[in-house]
Amino acid sequence: MNNVIAWCCAFSPVGKAKATNLLGVISVVALSLLATGCGQTPAASFRLNLVESSKQQLTTSQEQQVATILAALFGTPDEPRVPPEINLDVAKLKLAAGPVRSDIVGRKNGLYREHCAHCHGVTGDGMGPTAAFLNPYPRDYRPGVFKFKSTERADKPTHPDLVMVLRNGLAGSSMPSFALLSDAKIDALAEYVKYLSIRGEVELSLMRAYFELDDEDEGVLPQSREFLFEEIIDPVTEMWAAADDAIIDVPDMPADLDMVASIAKGKELFYGNKANCVKCHGVSGLGDGQANDYDDWNKVVLQAQKTVDGGVKQAEKTSTWDMSAEERDEHRIELAWLDRFETVLDGNALRPRMIRPRNLRQGVYRGGMRPLDLYYRIHAGINGAPMPAAKGTVPPEDIWHIVNYIKSLPYDFNGTLGVDRPMVARDRM
Amino acid sequence: MPPQRPPPQRPIKCCSFLVNVMSDTKSLKNNAVKSPNVAHWIACSLVAATGVLLTFGALVTTYEAAMAVPDWPGTYGHNMFLFPFAEWFFGPWDLFLEHGHRLLGASVGVISLVLAVAVWKTNQSSTVRGLVVAAVFLVVLQGVLGGLRVLLDDKTVAKVHACTGPLFFSVAVAIATLTSRRFQNKFSQSETAVSGMPLGGWIATGLLFASYIQLVAGAQLRHLDPAVGPSTFRWLVLFHLVGAATVAALSLAAVCESFGLIVTGSGRDVGRRFLSAAILFFVCSQVLLGFGAWIVSWGVPLGLLPDALASRVPETNAVVVARSSLSSLIVTGHVLIGMMILGASVVYCIVSGGLPEAAGVKLVSRRRALA
Repeated sequence: MNNVIAWCCAFSPVGKAKATNLLGVISVVALSLLATGCGQTPAASFRLNLVESSKQQLTTSQEQQVATILAALFGTPDEPRVPPEINLDVAKLKLAAGPVRSDIVGRKNGLYREHCAHCHGVTGDGMGPTAAFLNPYPRDYRPGVFKFKSTERADKPTHPDLVMVLRNGLAGSSMPSFALLSDAKIDALAEYVKYLSIRGEVELSLMRAYFELDDEDEGVLPQSREFLFEEIIDPVTEMWAAADDAIIDVPDMPADLDMVASIAKGKELFYGNKANCVKCHGVSGLGDGQANDYDDWNKVVLQAQKTVDGGVKQAEKTSTWDMSAEERDEHRIELAWLDRFETVLDGNALRPRMIRPRNLRQGVYRGGMRPLDLYYRIHAGINGAPMPAAKGTVPPEDIWHIVNYIKSLPYDFNGTLGVDRPMVARDRM
Repeated sequence: MPPQRPPPQRPIKCCSFLVNVMSDTKSLKNNAVKSPNVAHWIACSLVAATGVLLTFGALVTTYEAAMAVPDWPGTYGHNMFLFPFAEWFFGPWDLFLEHGHRLLGASVGVISLVLAVAVWKTNQSSTVRGLVVAAVFLVVLQGVLGGLRVLLDDKTVAKVHACTGPLFFSVAVAIATLTSRRFQNKFSQSETAVSGMPLGGWIATGLLFASYIQLVAGAQLRHLDPAVGPSTFRWLVLFHLVGAATVAALSLAAVCESFGLIVTGSGRDVGRRFLSAAILFFVCSQVLLGFGAWIVSWGVPLGLLPDALASRVPETNAVVVARSSLSSLIVTGHVLIGMMILGASVVYCIVSGGLPEAAGVKLVSRRRALA
């Protein structure tokens, strides 16, 4: 730095102090320009699911074909569109999509980018700018899997389920409550989440469809409308349309239920072999049981990392001396694929994190604290998470007993008096 | 002949108050200029108006209201100044903020022009004249940038707009300080040959630059393009945190220096002590507000902790309510306290013999010094 100042002084009549001044100002302005970037912000675009495309070993032209089909079907983040066969309200989508701005009647558009995109990403891939700082990670909508809903485990959430999550937020996570937004805005956001989810599922199906192509297709997906709708889109949209019919039938809690007996029965089920909640939530209910599992979103990344690591180790061991020219070419292609896959994982996936079972003694339930919410979680399990469904193993009426036991846990003293807690004078009396 | 008693001193507010504290009583007796200090009062008005303008600007970003009015320089087809008052004042909140921001911007522009005239008429130093020219240039540039941000709907322009605002504010504060009669009296008395910048000047200059760069980094986080990946955001946050640590360390150093804890006998100036202590207080508040702003925007940053530690953090049923008044207040307050740190750093830099003095610029005109 001193050399630079001396150099400036040599050519400048203003002296060392002025040169220092000048350099300081220039450096601040240059730093500001560097920080802000010199070019215009590019228009928002959907990111391709590169983890899946790398996993399926798609070529660049195949990725381009997928992107073209998706753009034709779903438009762009600024101009969303859906085929009429997909039952989504385009007016609501337009309210939620695009950059944040007011329209001619003063109604604010771009709700998704204003409220959601910084965590969930423009594509809904859970890779927004802030994602790495959050624990748990924000939801990746693209697999179409949602945890907290009133439907059976494998089914899609209903529209009111999504609205409820938006309105109440998720306790114990970074998902805020949007209770101050109007009903119309929350409705539009829920619709847009469905849109991103359907788009993501269609993308996954398209990428997986390459695996089933015949040799005569020459690595190109059929261009016919029948293929697109019957094979790819309809299975996805039918699941969403069927969500309202998949709502769990909840029996009423008996009005004359003896709560003490119910809690005792629930405790028995909790520790028993049928429900076997103790396996993960632990003997104490503190969530200290088996805790070495991952949710479905993290499993995808974990498996991809294992594939890459295994492939690299295998490639290091493989000797190319005795290979034929064809085998050597194949080996080179595989190495290039592994290299690309590794790069994709670095830039397009977050470090996998283990999922921890809920600490039931804190009384914090992400999917809602109503007894009905707990009933849904126990009955159907949690989709995408290791939490299994009690449906089929525990009778519906008995699920209420488990609910009552779980609701009592935050108020239950955990341990042996005098051992886990020193006895006080009142206890000794 | 007994010495004449000087006339009672008129109370001076705003920035001059900070300079008042540092002025000793001897300098008051030498104050022979009796005409009202018009340029200083206009400069103080400019600082106050800019403060309100920056508050509106910060609220515009907090509520993402920048595109509430899609046209520029008009407002929904009307001349900006003729837009129906009732529609603005009782209209939607984001329209109120954005149109209010524009009206305030125009007012600040007019005050800057009036200040320029006043400075030229009152024989201010070449430094003050230069700063006023810079202020007029910056306020015009800022207006154009604001217009381009709307017309292009571009986040990059918004970031530059957010970086130019504090720069203009710094210039306004500097003008208000340098036109203060107390400062001029003190400076003209202690006009001796300066042999290099004193330690306090170096610290103050570093603090000034660091606090401005912090605002630049904050602008990048506030105007974040949601299309960028987690990696870019991580680097920005790291930069902002390192910047915060630098500002905190420099403000602590400023307190130590002004109180004579670093160089014995250097801490005699009450004004500098007050200023450095105020800056340190603002910085401490700013750290708390920054943490609060993160929580109300993105929740507790458990992702920063190792998984084993994060799993031990107790959870609560409390959920952040997006766009609540409290969260908006915290986020906007974080920006405004940042501005206050910058403004106080400008004054501190000038009174500490920081960059301008070391650069050999003439802070007080000869005619005013003689007066």
